[in-house]
Amino acid sequence: MAGEGEPDSEKTFKLLGILDVQNIPCSRESILYGSLGSLVVGLGHFLATSRVRRSFDFGMGGFVLTTLGCWIYCRYNHAKLRIQQRIIQEGMRNKILYESSDFDPERKQNSNLGSKS
Amino acid sequence: MAHPLLLGFQDAMSPIMEELLHFHDHTLMIVFLISTMVLYIITLMMTTKLTYTNTMNAQEVEMIWTILPAIVLITIALPSLRVLYLMDEINNPHLTIKAMGHQWYWTYEYTDYENLEFDSYMTPTKTLPNGHFRLLEVDHRMVMPMESPIRMLVSAEDVLHSWAVPSLGVKTDAVPGRLNQATFIVTRPGVFYGQCSEICGANHSFMPIVIESVPLWHFENWSSLMFS
Repeated sequence: MAGEGEPDSEKTFKLLGILDVQNIPCSRESILYGSLGSLVVGLGHFLATSRVRRSFDFGMGGFVLTTLGCWIYCRYNHAKLRIQQRIIQEGMRNKILYESSDFDPERKQNSNLGSKS
Repeated sequence: MAHPLLLGFQDAMSPIMEELLHFHDHTLMIVFLISTMVLYIITLMMTTKLTYTNTMNAQEVEMIWTILPAIVLITIALPSLRVLYLMDEINNPHLTIKAMGHQWYWTYEYTDYENLEFDSYMTPTKTLPNGHFRLLEVDHRMVMPMESPIRMLVSAEDVLHSWAVPSLGVKTDAVPGRLNQATFIVTRPGVFYGQCSEICGANHSFMPIVIESVPLWHFENWSSLMFS
């Protein structure tokens, strides 16, 4: 019982000591895409202008924007998925409860098929 | 439940706590990005050879550092308001339980059907069985059915207390002469711990809250047993 719930330290990796990229959904992908975006933007700017410091600035800006964009997109889809999971779980819980009653969606489906034929 | 070296939240056991966890992750990512940018700007400032001491105005940079924080605040505020309003939704509770704070124990009242009332004192360390949690276990746990909306009415008999269970995302002040309401649904069976969260005297740290979430038929058996 003393060992229950102890953190597996080898399974957490915190960027800047705060962001646990291993356990927060979407964080790892966002950071990786952000790094890629930073590299592309920074390198592209340097190749176009040969200005080192300004390319680093662009790279930083690219990192922030790409990370934020991926994060918001991924979290939005994750939230939609969670809501769908909850609806399915509730449906599974209520299936037996509502069977053959007016709330049974299968009964409504069968009656629709019957009326079409 | 809490464990040594825990820095983040406990695992979520209610839908509201899940939403709070997700909001926290979102805000943490924004904080991480801001910290990265600040570190980068500090590095830039320490490595530049350029100096200009006659700056009189800086309209462009002032526009940027006004508009950008406003956008950041809106990005944080919108999900925050969403969770705030979610917490206030009316959800037709199946059961109402009253929690009364005393110095230094809690009293739980289940008065929907029968008049069931019992006190919940902390188990002293001297009498704690081996393997049980020090300063967290109680003699009578508050048992509730899982997956049912529960209404908690929290008040106090003497001084201010606060009824808090972190894994459910609930913290409600117990104010003498006032009834505060909290509603939640426990999604999983288990035992969840909390502690009094408002300073209430010498033994403020020694009046924990323990919730035992069980299937409905278990709860019915328990309440029949307690009432008899």
